[in-house]
Amino acid sequence: MLVVSLLIALLFLGLFLWASKSGQFDDDYTPSVRILFDDEVKNIDHKHGSTKV
Amino acid sequence: MKPTCFHCGDQLGFRPILYKEKSFCCSGCKSVFQLLSSNDLVDFYKFERSPGTKPVQTTNDKYAFLDIPEIKKRYVKFEDEQLIKVVLKLPNIHCSSCIYLLENAHKIEKNIVTSQVHFTKKEASITFKKEHLPLSELALLLDNLGYPPNFQEQNSSAKSNHNFLLRIGIAGFAFGSIMLWSFPEYTGIGKQNLDIRAFTSWLSFAVSVPVLLISAREYYVSAYKALRSHHLNLDVPISLGIIALYSQSVYSIINQEGPGYMDSFSGFIFFLLIGKWFQNTTYQSLTFDRDYTSYFPVAVRVLVDKKEEILPIEKIEIGDIIRIRNQEIIPCDTVLLNTESIIDYSFVTGESSLIYKYKGEELYAGGKIMGNIAEMEVKRKSDRSHLTQLWNESLHNKNKTQKIRYQDKISALFLYTVLIISAIAAIVWATIDPQMILKVVVSVLIVACPCALALSTPFTYGNAMRKMGSLGCYLKNIDVVESMDGITAIVFDKTGTLTDPQQMEIIPSGEEVSIEAQSILFEMTGSSTHPLSAALHRFLANENLDFIAFKSFKEHVGKGIEVSTGNDDYQLGNAAFTQQGNHNNNELFFTKNGITIQKYVFKSQFRSDIKSLLSRLHKTKNFVLSGDTDTDLPSLLEIGFKKENIYFLQSPTLKHTFIQNLQSKGEKVMMLGDGLNDASALAKADIGIAISEDMFKFTPSSEAILDAKKLNKLDDFIAISKFSRLVLKICLGFSILYNLTGIIIAVSGMLSPLIAAILMPLSSITIVLLSTSLIFIRFRSLKN
Repeated sequence: MLVVSLLIALLFLGLFLWASKSGQFDDDYTPSVRILFDDEVKNIDHKHGSTKV
Repeated sequence: MKPTCFHCGDQLGFRPILYKEKSFCCSGCKSVFQLLSSNDLVDFYKFERSPGTKPVQTTNDKYAFLDIPEIKKRYVKFEDEQLIKVVLKLPNIHCSSCIYLLENAHKIEKNIVTSQVHFTKKEASITFKKEHLPLSELALLLDNLGYPPNFQEQNSSAKSNHNFLLRIGIAGFAFGSIMLWSFPEYTGIGKQNLDIRAFTSWLSFAVSVPVLLISAREYYVSAYKALRSHHLNLDVPISLGIIALYSQSVYSIINQEGPGYMDSFSGFIFFLLIGKWFQNTTYQSLTFDRDYTSYFPVAVRVLVDKKEEILPIEKIEIGDIIRIRNQEIIPCDTVLLNTESIIDYSFVTGESSLIYKYKGEELYAGGKIMGNIAEMEVKRKSDRSHLTQLWNESLHNKNKTQKIRYQDKISALFLYTVLIISAIAAIVWATIDPQMILKVVVSVLIVACPCALALSTPFTYGNAMRKMGSLGCYLKNIDVVESMDGITAIVFDKTGTLTDPQQMEIIPSGEEVSIEAQSILFEMTGSSTHPLSAALHRFLANENLDFIAFKSFKEHVGKGIEVSTGNDDYQLGNAAFTQQGNHNNNELFFTKNGITIQKYVFKSQFRSDIKSLLSRLHKTKNFVLSGDTDTDLPSLLEIGFKKENIYFLQSPTLKHTFIQNLQSKGEKVMMLGDGLNDASALAKADIGIAISEDMFKFTPSSEAILDAKKLNKLDDFIAISKFSRLVLKICLGFSILYNLTGIIIAVSGMLSPLIAAILMPLSSITIVLLSTSLIFIRFRSLKN
């Protein structure tokens, strides 16, 4: 039980650190706007839309 | 409401450009619309109303310097054989439409592969094919779209932020886990199963080690530094408490008495770091600490063997011949080689008039060339120039007077009280039960750890800072909130601060002007970019004017315009140009065949509500410093300044000394200014506030940036700062109350991990709620 709780907590810690490293908390505004643009996509290559960091 | 430009939202002149049933204020805006609509990007206009920025005409080789490898590499983040990725600062990014346009830039220029906007930093990272698109052309494209990149300012890295999140993450993880494992201890069933108890204790110990070593490290470092320089800050009692807490816990784990205070320990650190995080989140896109380099160009045209070459500014040597073009800034102290040049020094001296310089005269760095290309010989390098020296000197002075925070003042008192209480407790317990002495002393130190006290300042001032930010006043850090409260004197710059540079009052004199002449004047001024022309153009606009074609048109930059209709010659310009009487900077003459038809006098207009602001600022001494002559004296007196507090003809150095003199009389000075001419005074003042029409354009280094439209709310900002001082005192009172309760329990020898685990979060949460609610409720009526 205790070990399981430790493992779960460690998992979350790892996820948090990974998220902060990969820049998820860097910009908390742009993605909220960007998500609105995809509606009108007709012939843009999705890869070139907005992903890639 | 007057009709506005479909692209940029500016008011339309009386003769707008019509295109596809939409009206535009200028051909620049129309051409951006054309470009977007031909590339299927009209959605740009759907997200916001008139989201565009009016593009300014540029020369095609404006960004040629970017193709020099050593300059280019400053902006490159990644490069391979085909692709290159750059990060550019685009200060004009301001709305969701901007994000849409920039992230779809590949539709306009097929060599752009991807582009991604970082809105809060106002940056775009763009990947493009380097073979087909040089960086200079990319910059030009962005400029033409209305987003001129800023190459002067280097991009800040976000690395420290990651590090900080890591420390919070570790502390939070440990706090949650240890509390969970300590649960049996809280309920009292822990003692029934000693194996599990030993296991959880050691597990807690293992988890707490990274908290001690990584998360809490900055507190010991800060405490050590403070002790070494013989003064006390709040980190000293915090470190003492942490150490007491941790050693007591380790002792109890080794002796198999349960996990001790490990939960409180990690909780302490977690809350403290949250407080720090709260006070550190600042305005990413604003820069408060600009130095002179962000004002000077990145590269300069230099004559080498009679050929023009572009060199990075650091490579300019004394004796080099440099060429500066219209609207460009002189980067170093030089001697003019041209026969004549016109220079705009308004940003350096605060004087709004243009200055004429002749061959062989010295030109100081910081002036802007108006008109023809000027050739000059370098006398002093950029970092040794007159302007730079002034700048560095004032910044140097600033660092000496480091502010001592209110919380640090009381922390010394706090520490001594705690030490005395522990000593008395130790003596008393020595007579009752000597075995209890160590436990009681450690307990007192643990419970006196000023966690809530340490949270009071960041949360109170952090909330005040956010409130001010939402009202248009952006502070550099929370210390500014505290120092704003004690201000006794306010010094205003006149030009650009009290006056609105975009509003001019125009007083015409002379006989009635015919419609024909008015139409001619309207056409003349419409083609010129000079600020006085533009103001006159707006002033003249009305429906009766006709369109008149000119036979010839010639603009003499900085002097005037001459046109010919075939029958008559018209001139508009200053007194010297039109040969009409004495030169005065605020006058324009309009002549027909050499005879004056009209004289226009331009007067600066003061911002609205300055008068009522001054009547509300009656507790402070209010001064005006102006670089100009005393023409505005009557208006300043009318507004409410006292005659003895108005000073004219103030150079940057005089402004600096003025602030210094006030300070030596014991005044706490707040200075409000807008240009480089105020930079040194802003740096000298206890609080320097840069007034800005556009938050993200250049402002001199300062403690705060204030939206020019919000200048009339200055008294509100001071009120917020005063009130937050009161809130801080209330919070400190509460946290001391909690500490006192804890100390009473500790002295009586009854402190247990459970009590600490309740007391610590309770006190911290009280402080957070109290500071937030008090400030937001008190100022809820103030809205943007």
